[in-house]
Amino acid sequence: MKRRTLILSGLGTATALVVGWGVMPPRSRQGGADTMPVVNGEVGLNGWIKIAAEDGHVILAMNRSEMGQGVHTALAMLVAEELDVSLAKVRLVQAGPEKLYGNVAGFVASLPFHPADSEPGHETRVVKTGQWVMAKLARELGISMTGGSSTVADAWDVLRLAAATARAQLLGAASLEWKQPIAELSVKNGVISHPSGPQGHYGLFAKAAAATPAGDVILKTAKQWTLIGTPAPRTDLQAKIDGTAQFGIDVRLPDQLYAVVRHAPAIGGSYGAVDVDAAMKLPGVERVVRLGTYAGSTDALAVVGKTYWHAKQGAQALQVEWHAPPIGVVSSAAINQALERSAREAAKSEGGFAFYSRGDVKEAAKNAARQFEQVYRAPYLAHATMEPINCTARVADGKVEVWAPTQMPGAARAAAARAAGVSIEAVTVHVTYLGGGFGRRLDVDFVGQAVRIAVETGGRPVQLVWPREEDITHDFYRPAGVAVMQASLDAQGLPIGLTITSAGDAITPRWIERGMPALAGPIDTPDKTTSEGLFDLPYGVPNQRIANVATRSGVPVGFWRSVGHSHNAFFSEGFIDELASEAKQDPVAFRLALLKDAPRHAAVLKLAAEKAGWPGFGQERPLPAGVARGVALHESFGSIVAQVVELSLEGGKPKLRRVVCAADVGTVVNPMIVAQQMEGGVLFGLSAALYGRIDIVDSVVRQTNFPNYPVVKMSESPRIETWLVPSTRPPGGVGEPGTPPIAPAVANAMFVLTGKRMRSLPLIA
Amino acid sequence: MELSINGQMRPLADAAVDPGMPLLWALRDVLNMTGTKFGCGVAACGACTVQVDGAAVRSCVTPLASVAGKRIVTIEALGSAAQPHPLQTAWLAHQVPQCGYCQSGMLMAAAALLAKNPNPNDADIDAAITNICRCGTYPRIREAIKTAAASMRASNAPAAKPAVVRRA
Repeated sequence: MKRRTLILSGLGTATALVVGWGVMPPRSRQGGADTMPVVNGEVGLNGWIKIAAEDGHVILAMNRSEMGQGVHTALAMLVAEELDVSLAKVRLVQAGPEKLYGNVAGFVASLPFHPADSEPGHETRVVKTGQWVMAKLARELGISMTGGSSTVADAWDVLRLAAATARAQLLGAASLEWKQPIAELSVKNGVISHPSGPQGHYGLFAKAAAATPAGDVILKTAKQWTLIGTPAPRTDLQAKIDGTAQFGIDVRLPDQLYAVVRHAPAIGGSYGAVDVDAAMKLPGVERVVRLGTYAGSTDALAVVGKTYWHAKQGAQALQVEWHAPPIGVVSSAAINQALERSAREAAKSEGGFAFYSRGDVKEAAKNAARQFEQVYRAPYLAHATMEPINCTARVADGKVEVWAPTQMPGAARAAAARAAGVSIEAVTVHVTYLGGGFGRRLDVDFVGQAVRIAVETGGRPVQLVWPREEDITHDFYRPAGVAVMQASLDAQGLPIGLTITSAGDAITPRWIERGMPALAGPIDTPDKTTSEGLFDLPYGVPNQRIANVATRSGVPVGFWRSVGHSHNAFFSEGFIDELASEAKQDPVAFRLALLKDAPRHAAVLKLAAEKAGWPGFGQERPLPAGVARGVALHESFGSIVAQVVELSLEGGKPKLRRVVCAADVGTVVNPMIVAQQMEGGVLFGLSAALYGRIDIVDSVVRQTNFPNYPVVKMSESPRIETWLVPSTRPPGGVGEPGTPPIAPAVANAMFVLTGKRMRSLPLIA
Repeated sequence: MELSINGQMRPLADAAVDPGMPLLWALRDVLNMTGTKFGCGVAACGACTVQVDGAAVRSCVTPLASVAGKRIVTIEALGSAAQPHPLQTAWLAHQVPQCGYCQSGMLMAAAALLAKNPNPNDADIDAAITNICRCGTYPRIREAIKTAAASMRASNAPAAKPAVVRRA
């Protein structure tokens, strides 16, 4: 099949629906005045905005989960801007399950198009068609997902339009009441006034506004913004410094019980005979619940008790005959070998699926002065969110109520319905704060488990908490990956051909199968996550073939902050740095020479170099002896990030002093939150770069908790500076793009100190 | 059993707890004081940090029997929006938290540090704050501790610098 045909059919089960449906206008994302439920004199104006009649506060339907990335603040800023209110006057209420709250941008971004073909306003016909169909499909499905660094990009037009429309209706109502032209009215912090004297807050006009047409709605221009682009303080921080923020694990209901899960040790394993006597004799232990598979989970036993502690004691006291999985026992060492074999074989035979082809790599190889080839490797990784996996559920009177720290409330609802055997309408999902998500909470296995346990507790609510050991050993892991990197170099050492052949598991089809089985297709279509960060490089190499062999290794894999970019950037930016060495050129200058047709990338790289004092760029900052710099540049989720690290070696271990991070993230809604996310991205990536590895032997994960799955701490944390390139483009992603560049930047700096290239993660074996 | 928590004697029914139960679970699941967090259960991450007689202690491995008669202080008593601890003021000035889950433990560890050392340098902070944060708030925590220390030394309202954000 040709690539183009495959990509269009890659829209999966949707393709058949497109005929006929395709000519209908896209489903509106504004919603009606009656979409949001109202209480106490609130007035709905559209699916996103209601107004509190008594004080004129704006109530925003919040359709995304706050897991640290600042979206509760950022989305409120969009609305506050267009409605001319302070952030303090925006209250959040969880959005309902309606389809208008689904994520469109995140799903459109999952299409495997090359950035050069999908530059906004200059998309090729195939790209335009594919994006249009996917957007329409996403609107139809209405899947609520917080992920893919897509929240602000998705909300950007929708929320501003909803808020501006509401404002126009409110002004229209005031105009009618005061009999004054709209053009003469002004708004200050939610209070409408006319120069002749009358004034009143939004609440006074809300009821009339609901029946007043908005007329022509015009969004503010960037010059008119007073809030967007400012480092407004986050609205969720007071609760997070005084202990009152409610995470999923903090839900406390009358009569609540606690459950601790104990999975079969082997991934996909099960249990035979279970002796519960010792456990049931312990004080505070109430019952043992047998769990099957829920949305990809391994079979498990859950012990219910009066507190976590009682339940945990009970779980430890269970005598269980554990079984290995009947087929498909896996070990990471064997998988790594198989991946390398697949990648090497495909590299020889032009195998795998080519996500990008340009020119003729064979011809380039013939014309080259020499060939350069290296193999790069990355291990499985766990997420290790600070808040352990948990979910609280109550099943009573045919109704199910779930309190969950989830990135997928709709999928959580469906999983709860399946586990309780009720219709989806009988389930209510309350989304709490998430103590970290990083992609782990895009899966809903723990929701099914919690509901299943709650079915057994006679109507009493139960909070399921996974001990940390269960989290590390039963995660959906970042897939291991191998890439064969081949370059054809001309006489000057410049690359005229680039062939990348990687091998690794596709994440998206596995995730859909377990979390949204109704949407699973019969065959795997090419999954962008396998090749992102390789097929979409900005470097002007005239001949390229970037392919991936999608494997099914049998390890449950999931989305992990920055997904494919998390390891592919290490491969590509390590290799580009090697090519610079081969050409005997400065790493920054070498990259810039290949970025003549990528001005945004070049600008970000130059900014990072200048701020870091890189020799030849701006004011040079000499480094003390024993300290070296390394650089990496990477685009992901619509944003471009360059990082320069300064590090020394202490006992053979890299010690980072400083990270200079430059980014073009498009229009910046809140530069403070962007800086936070860059810092967070760097440190999350640094933990993985230095230490992160999950080893699996006979389907059992060897790492169990922070002592053997270490992450960086304060003493290893460098100073991190963030510099932003001004941009008028729509907002790009922010939560993930800071993660990919740090591993190659560190490895490239270590090469300067040691003369040794590091091509396998983690860097400290 | 009775424990001194945040200046109050709190009775714990014998049926609800046993002497070997870690303090964390008495706080969270018996007294419903959920500000103190569970992170690892093995004293590795510090999310459960509270103060016992002024020292930072990991409550997930601290049996109730060992804290009888001692003064326990949790995040709930560190300060409030109306009357913040200088660390909380600095935390807001530097916009420290992201997901926020580890922050109770971080604040309690930092408060114990400042009570002993009014002017900690980087090495002191590295040694005292061994808690884990997965969001990467360490650089801001470091700055916020220094800001709070300075304001406590000056013993007047802190004048914290805004967080490091520059636009080129």
